[in-house]
Amino acid sequence: MTTDATERRASTPRGRGSLLALPALAPVLAVLVLGLGSAVLQSVGLMPLAGQPAFTTSAYSALASPAVADGMRISLAIAAASTAIAVVLGLTAALLVHRIAPRRGFLALLAAATVPVPHLVGAIATGLLLSDSGLVSRLLGADPTTFPQLIAGPWWVGVVAEYAWKESAFVALVVLVSLSQRERELSEAAAVLGASAWERFRRVTLPLASPALVVSATLSAAYVVGSYEVSWLLGRSYPEPLPVLAYRLFTDVDLDTRPEAMAVAVLTVGVAGAIALVGTVMLRRTAAAR
Amino acid sequence: MPSTHVRPRRVGLLCVLAGASLSLTACAGATVAPPAVVDPATSWSLVTSAAQGQTVNLWMYGGDDLGNSYVDKILAPAAAAQGVTIHRVPITDTADALNRVVSETTAGRTMDGSVDLVWVNGENFRTGAQASLWKCGWATSLPNARYLDTRDPLLLNDFGTPVNGCEAPWHKAQFVIAYDSAKVTSPPTSIPELLTWAQDHPARFTYPQPPDFTGSAFVRQALYGISGGVASVPSTYDAATAQPLEDALWSKLSGVAPSLWRGGQTYPRDLTALDKLYSDGQVWFTMTYGPATIDARVKDGTFPATTKVLSLRDGSLGNASFLAIPANAAHSAAAQVVANLALSPEQQAAKADPSTWGQYTVLDVTKVPESLRAPLEARSAISVVPPFSTLSTSSNPELSATWVTPLEQGWRKSVLGG
Amino acid sequence: MTAVAAPPSPRIDTAVARPSRSRVGTVVRSAASAALGVWWLAPLVPMLLWAFADRWTFPDRLPRQWGLDGWRAAFEAGAGSAMASSLAVAVVVAVIATPLGAMAARALETHDIRHGRLVGVLLVLPVAVPPFAVVLGLTSVTLRWGIPGSVALITALVAFSLPYTVSVMRAAYAAHDLTMEEQARTLGASPRSTLWRVHLPMVAPSLVMSAFLAFLVAWSDYLMTLVLGAGRVTTLAQLLGSSASSSGHDSSVAVIAALIVAPPLVLLAAIHLSIRRTAQR
Repeated sequence: MTTDATERRASTPRGRGSLLALPALAPVLAVLVLGLGSAVLQSVGLMPLAGQPAFTTSAYSALASPAVADGMRISLAIAAASTAIAVVLGLTAALLVHRIAPRRGFLALLAAATVPVPHLVGAIATGLLLSDSGLVSRLLGADPTTFPQLIAGPWWVGVVAEYAWKESAFVALVVLVSLSQRERELSEAAAVLGASAWERFRRVTLPLASPALVVSATLSAAYVVGSYEVSWLLGRSYPEPLPVLAYRLFTDVDLDTRPEAMAVAVLTVGVAGAIALVGTVMLRRTAAAR
Repeated sequence: MPSTHVRPRRVGLLCVLAGASLSLTACAGATVAPPAVVDPATSWSLVTSAAQGQTVNLWMYGGDDLGNSYVDKILAPAAAAQGVTIHRVPITDTADALNRVVSETTAGRTMDGSVDLVWVNGENFRTGAQASLWKCGWATSLPNARYLDTRDPLLLNDFGTPVNGCEAPWHKAQFVIAYDSAKVTSPPTSIPELLTWAQDHPARFTYPQPPDFTGSAFVRQALYGISGGVASVPSTYDAATAQPLEDALWSKLSGVAPSLWRGGQTYPRDLTALDKLYSDGQVWFTMTYGPATIDARVKDGTFPATTKVLSLRDGSLGNASFLAIPANAAHSAAAQVVANLALSPEQQAAKADPSTWGQYTVLDVTKVPESLRAPLEARSAISVVPPFSTLSTSSNPELSATWVTPLEQGWRKSVLGG
Repeated sequence: MTAVAAPPSPRIDTAVARPSRSRVGTVVRSAASAALGVWWLAPLVPMLLWAFADRWTFPDRLPRQWGLDGWRAAFEAGAGSAMASSLAVAVVVAVIATPLGAMAARALETHDIRHGRLVGVLLVLPVAVPPFAVVLGLTSVTLRWGIPGSVALITALVAFSLPYTVSVMRAAYAAHDLTMEEQARTLGASPRSTLWRVHLPMVAPSLVMSAFLAFLVAWSDYLMTLVLGAGRVTTLAQLLGSSASSSGHDSSVAVIAALIVAPPLVLLAAIHLSIRRTAQR
């Protein structure tokens, strides 16, 4: 991105630059520090809704319950499955568009049109399509009692499908932008030198696309782990993915569940953070490998 | 489509503790009703003159289209004629309003709160009452309170919590279970029979998962049914006496679970989800605390025309819902004017019309001038739901709100997780 | 992720230099393209059908009765005012987040600022933090300090759109030619007129794109508005969430969903067309 940035940078005084960045930093820091700080404080009893603050880790001991462990497992499984599908489909779409362009712009167009669709809308649309009495079941003339349980079923098909649907469009766009003209030139050079299609994919295309793939896959997995509405609408009663569990505990009758809700929220932040960290390390590796 | 009931999500202990520990002074002032030394007529005229030009923020569950449109198109214009503007604040959950009042009170906003009037009952009312969040004593001195039956148990106790003039009645509701008579040929007449029927007809019955309002109500109805009736269940929760009753309930409900829709592995998220399963013919029963919706759905073709209401030998749960004024309300005079207006025979009759909202009146019909009686008991010409007088003949009193949490948590632990 | 919608890569016809393709390959490629097209379009089909279905009971494959009942019901449920709130929130967020993002990006790309790397990381950090966790914590603070829910909501949405505006604008400033501005200054232009007549026109397309992304973050949000708005900010997404869980009226739910989808797509198309037109000039 910044080729000659170092030369250009010296020209202005330091203070003014910091002042320019400050207005953006302020809301980000305010929201993250206050939001996460208060979540952490509430989770350890230091910011009670009523009564005297007293440090306790009981909310975190409560995380050992099977509901949280199951929630964690299902959250990770949904994120892994939907991200894997999104990466495969997104990469395929990007390659198709990249190679067949300019005549087949419609895939790029569809991907660009899918990304702005909110997940809440996607979830409702997926429900109308895949539920027992949804469009697919109607078109097949299926009996709803024997139709596979795609929505609110044991395999979370609807939830994974919705995330994969939108995230694949996201992956496709990010990869498409990163696959520059260079890929085409290198690939064609390799073809002239006798490389097979698979070799060209392995040695030229994939290495060029991998930073974008890693970035988009990381972002989408971190997003899915922390996202509420799709699992809420299309999921089943038990287990509850972490955000659904946290929100239910947050709105529960019992004051005692508030700290636990916050502990689950903090745990989710940790999981998303770990995903981001893994992504960063992988990105470094792919960059170093080039 | 309406789901005609107050949503019961609660803030629970939060209010109690907040009220007890932080806002004693503010709340204490509120619980002590002003001594009635002033002549009622004079005091009411003081209220109405104070109310002139005020705007009432009416916080109510916003997912009920008919309810919203009744307030906007019928109640609000009538209030405007009395010099009061109604600003309806739609909330997804009644607990949001309570949460707001608690937060404001603990933050020291004891005079200019943003909630003036709340549609409330049950657990939300109880927690608010325990935290002294409600303005009290006003409801009994509303001029239109003269149309109420002062001994009506539904209006004296709200889910076991004494009302004490801290909220004005708004409407009554009756829990009903409906079925498709074309498919269910010999309908059960009690909860145990219903559960046996479910066992004999796999995947044709289910109920919304608590804490959904209707799902919780079903669990309470089942508790009565399985424990042997209203008399066998102490109205206030007590862990020791409740334990055997709960154990029996959970073993029965877990026992029937494998025969429920999807083998009881999952439950409809809410009443909407159950209604959809019913209208698609997947399950043959649905249930509601707002029977008027059944008529409406049969009429618009969503529900089969063969839908009927299960007649339960031991009766079914009944409750009333209310309008309450927080102690810190900024516009409490105007809120009282609205609550009084809402109690008028004209408004109660308009609201009872199934095409408007179909909410049962709280008024004692015998006290209302004869000309106004007929519309109060209005039903649509073709109705699958029996009249309220029939439905409510053996009405079961709601359990105390103290039961609600243990039942919901117990269900999650013993039936859903079990 | 909410969106990083960038224009497709530049279209240069390289057919001349391309090795010839097998017929089978072409068929496979077309089939894959078609399958992906179905993949992305399929969910929208039942939504559109439902939006115009007055009656569509279960085993019927297509609506039995077409009509606009869903639209009437949606607008009676408040879709009109919800759309106005959605627009207001999203526009305010875009208007705040775009200049903030641009300023920070300019600072990061063209000034030597203290802890520049850290600032850069902090500004994109929100994409890796679950918004629900932040707002669950934030709402207690705002209630305690008496901060109005709308202020808290706008601030949170700005914070969560800044990663996008900053990234887009950093890319723009990385490719930005500073000498134009310097020449303008040398020729006697004031800092202000340099900003408005040289600097901003050069980055205008990126500004438009980042404003769109910030708009989209706010427009799409459900949970942050639910928690921080405490039910008082009824946006289209709120209305959709509450009607999906309470109305059971599929046609009005589909209409509200369609109302949420349409404006961003129209905006995106307009941006595409205008960028293409300026590029052609």
